[in-house]
Amino acid sequence: MKNEENINHLTAHLFRENSGKMVAVLSRLFGLHHIDTVMDVVQDTFESVLTQWRFSGVPDNPSAWLMKVAKNKAINALKRENKTKSFSPSLYLTHFDDSFENQFDILLSPKEIQDSQLRLLFACCLPDLSQKNQVILTLHILCGFGVPEIANAMLMNNEAVKKVIARSKDQLKELNNILQTRLITLSEERIQTVHTILYLMFNEGYKTTRSKKGINNDLCYEAIRLAKLLDHKNAPRQHETQALLALMFLNISRFPARVNMQEEWLTLEEQDRSKWDKVFIEEGYYYLNKAVESKSVTRFHIEAIIASLHCSASSFEKTNWEEISKLYRILEQLEPSGLVKLNRIMAESYISNSKSIQAIDKLKSNLLFKDNFLLSAAKGDVYQRKGQFKNSLSSYEEALQLAVSPADKKFLKKKISQYKQNQN
Amino acid sequence: MKEFLMLIRENLDNYGKMTPEEMQADIAKHVKWVEQLVKNGNFKGGNPLMPMGKHVKGNNKMVTDGPYIETKEGVSGYYFLLANSLEEAAEIAKGCPSLQIGGTVEIREVIQTQQ
Repeated sequence: MKNEENINHLTAHLFRENSGKMVAVLSRLFGLHHIDTVMDVVQDTFESVLTQWRFSGVPDNPSAWLMKVAKNKAINALKRENKTKSFSPSLYLTHFDDSFENQFDILLSPKEIQDSQLRLLFACCLPDLSQKNQVILTLHILCGFGVPEIANAMLMNNEAVKKVIARSKDQLKELNNILQTRLITLSEERIQTVHTILYLMFNEGYKTTRSKKGINNDLCYEAIRLAKLLDHKNAPRQHETQALLALMFLNISRFPARVNMQEEWLTLEEQDRSKWDKVFIEEGYYYLNKAVESKSVTRFHIEAIIASLHCSASSFEKTNWEEISKLYRILEQLEPSGLVKLNRIMAESYISNSKSIQAIDKLKSNLLFKDNFLLSAAKGDVYQRKGQFKNSLSSYEEALQLAVSPADKKFLKKKISQYKQNQN
Repeated sequence: MKEFLMLIRENLDNYGKMTPEEMQADIAKHVKWVEQLVKNGNFKGGNPLMPMGKHVKGNNKMVTDGPYIETKEGVSGYYFLLANSLEEAAEIAKGCPSLQIGGTVEIREVIQTQQ
């Protein structure tokens, strides 16, 4: 037991991060068909350090310590499985003998750990799975998220998450050989899937952070951590990765200003811009500058530039809506979706709102907005700026009927009560 | 100051249900608690125990895996606390983070036989 004053403390999310690292290294050795054994070994590792560190305090290099415990537990698990003859090693591990320990040690350099994580990330983005399920699988396997944490972050119930994980893992097991080859991490096609998954993971976190702080912010940080793995010079589409990182950093810079003391989310207009995180903004610009060296322009580039325009406006009134509208038009070409269109219409409404209501109404036929509160809420906002308060109130009331998430409801109720107060 | 043994009993199966994030939070709480004990001069020592043990019973010295058959509840660790009275020791024990995850603690005064 350490009696000294300077007891080490664990950095935030160290376990979670190391969970992904350990799973990545172990599954490279064991093969993905042994993913259940791998996950058991990792869980076992945490349990044994839990009992010890509670009493002894945290060792100097907890990550290395965890990996060492995992290694010993893995060797024991292999010996056990070998005895029952159920163990067939991965291709990497051509045969299980004394050289196993050496092979293990080679995989423990920072570069190899990074590489193992990258391979696992690409493997988790299984094209056969729905995008949402790819996100769930990645969160579970690579980010160390437990079932309740995923359920909370993805607004699902525990049972549904468990089912998705079990089914997805079965598919992962069939991919035994993939982790052995570097080819998959260099595949142009797969990297686009990986980008999309990280983008979704980020958006999922971004969306739900409206309601609560905490775990859902973590989804955004995890997406950034994984995207950083993709930012190396041999990786395909590196500029796209950098654009993705830029847009992530520029968007999370606003987190400290997004929610007020009452846990209500604030619009861009209501936010105190002095609270925006300057370090994240700088980081965003750093990646943006690198990303624009590219010859091609992707949706991530455009979205990052839009975010940068918001970040560089000293006040809401000074927002460069002309430029932002133009960028949304380009984005519409690259990514034709109702949501992009709605964003473009809203950006244009700050220049002139004479045709905005008609434009929003035209989106009604889009399936994306069926039973969705966004169009009504957007109209409420435009009517309000037009000074048509009765129309605005009824639009917000319509939106409230359709809204599902508590945070969205809270936001709309606030808008409605503001009107009612003004009437009195 | 008198010396007290504090035994922590926990459902040892509980660990398996915790996520990495929860386990990390649990460690942090314990570390903080011990820091506090050290600072206040209430800490003498302590160690965790392996979850598996042997139970030897009776004249025939029957060896089993443990007295607890129905539940996996067992002693997960012990502390030696320093306090002026059993009441004070119990008050200190209330801060043990294991209580937050369903554990129980038992405090017994250590009789000093060698003066």
